[in-house]
Amino acid sequence: MFVEIIDVIISGMINGSVYALMAVGLTLIYGVSKAFNFAYGSFYSMGGYLAWMIFSVAVINSYFIIFILSIPVLLVLGYLIEKVLVAPLRKRDDWEIKVMMITLGLALLLDNSYQVLFGARMKSLPSILEGSLEIGEFILAYQDIVIFILSIGGILLFRWFLNNTRTGMSVRAVAQNPAGAQIVGIPKEFVFSATFAISTVMVGTGGILLAQKYFVTPTGGWDILVKAWVITAFGGMGSIKGSLYAAFILGMLEAFVGWYFGMTWVLIALFAVLLTTLAIRPQGLMGKWG
Amino acid sequence: MLEIKNVTKKFGELTAVNNLSFTVEKGQVFGIAGPNGAGKSTLYNLITGLYPFEGSIKFEGKEIRGFPSHKIAKLGIARTFQIPQTFPSLTVKKSIAIGNYFGSDAEFDPAYVDEILKFVNLYDKQDEKTGQLKLLDKKMLMIAAALGTRPKILMLDEPMAGSNSKEILSLMELIKRINQDMGITIIIIEHFMKVLTELTSKLLIIETGTEICCGDPNDVTSDSRVIECYLGDGHD
Repeated sequence: MFVEIIDVIISGMINGSVYALMAVGLTLIYGVSKAFNFAYGSFYSMGGYLAWMIFSVAVINSYFIIFILSIPVLLVLGYLIEKVLVAPLRKRDDWEIKVMMITLGLALLLDNSYQVLFGARMKSLPSILEGSLEIGEFILAYQDIVIFILSIGGILLFRWFLNNTRTGMSVRAVAQNPAGAQIVGIPKEFVFSATFAISTVMVGTGGILLAQKYFVTPTGGWDILVKAWVITAFGGMGSIKGSLYAAFILGMLEAFVGWYFGMTWVLIALFAVLLTTLAIRPQGLMGKWG
Repeated sequence: MLEIKNVTKKFGELTAVNNLSFTVEKGQVFGIAGPNGAGKSTLYNLITGLYPFEGSIKFEGKEIRGFPSHKIAKLGIARTFQIPQTFPSLTVKKSIAIGNYFGSDAEFDPAYVDEILKFVNLYDKQDEKTGQLKLLDKKMLMIAAALGTRPKILMLDEPMAGSNSKEILSLMELIKRINQDMGITIIIIEHFMKVLTELTSKLLIIETGTEICCGDPNDVTSDSRVIECYLGDGHD
């Protein structure tokens, strides 16, 4: 029993770390643009399919190369999608609603394109690192350790970017005060596009990391979209720190509920916790009013 | 330096700025006053590119209509808002550095940021988060962040609002120093007539977006139309 509980905690920590990476990306877009991106889950699948193509079609089985090739592609695609589809809508009234509609359409287009291109059957990727670490009765797969380290590394890199780079500082400024940011010369449109591109990289990287554990399917991103939004709302809309806490809390909850009640209860439990939290504290764990 | 010509802005049926024309000379302190809802802040929003409009706005002879806000900031037009607009989780120093990073084509200059911090008396508070500052310090910081962009014109929107008499004196002193020591042209929207008559060399009064009177502040404040529509009898 004790060994099982430790296993569940470790599983919760690993899932929490990847969810944190992905939820922080979603929080970033919401924090900066206050718009809902329905295609976020489809970018998760995009990461998985990119990795699968590099692995199966180009026959490259080095994850280092997979990341080196995928990240620029995700960055450029994210930037172009924002520039071509989202940016023109911002000049119109009620643009937030229009962004929701167009990203929903984009999600359907991408998911159906994956099905046409890659078929409905799930794709698998090899483990990033074979073998496991055995300490007494505990067995910890190297794959999980690497996923955890890369996810936390990604979040720390993102934090460094926000605090120490010129673009990062402009992202924080626009998120905190869009009008004030423009007035001191920050190009708001570029910041919107950059954050969309960065968040695409974050969720796409999550897709590559989890593809080895959960396979890649055309509609697999919807589950991630729902979880990322539950985490974002639970943590407090637009609060990056809140998303980090929420990701680990909900990752742990998911692991325990899945282990004790079965995986079918996981989403029900997540929503039950979200609704209860929002009923007591509508702004989420660390969100602010106004 | 700044030439506003036949500028009109309509929001649906409402005309916020109505065929307004005036010129601000280099080195001048130019005042704008009028009742609430007269279109004063909207005018600032038009000059800084936040809204599209009809008419023409030229800065140093160059038409800036249609320019995005960040480009206008880079040309040398900075502004502040009625409610202090700061970046709550950034420090005082970083907030000014942002202005210097993005608002100017000149290379980022940490020494200039320090100079501004001292100029507005915030040097000792440079590492504090802006969200924790008191109102007067927030106002000073907003002016400092605008100065960080190395502006040629600084447009202040009711800087004295909510300030006590001591704070008003220190803000007036700061505005004078910005104009005289830094050589920056100032446009100031204000309700305190004493502030306007003391600081400005030209005063424009608008009501419902339309010019009522424009000229020497002492002449303007004694104009019967201004007294009737804005100041009322027995104003100070």
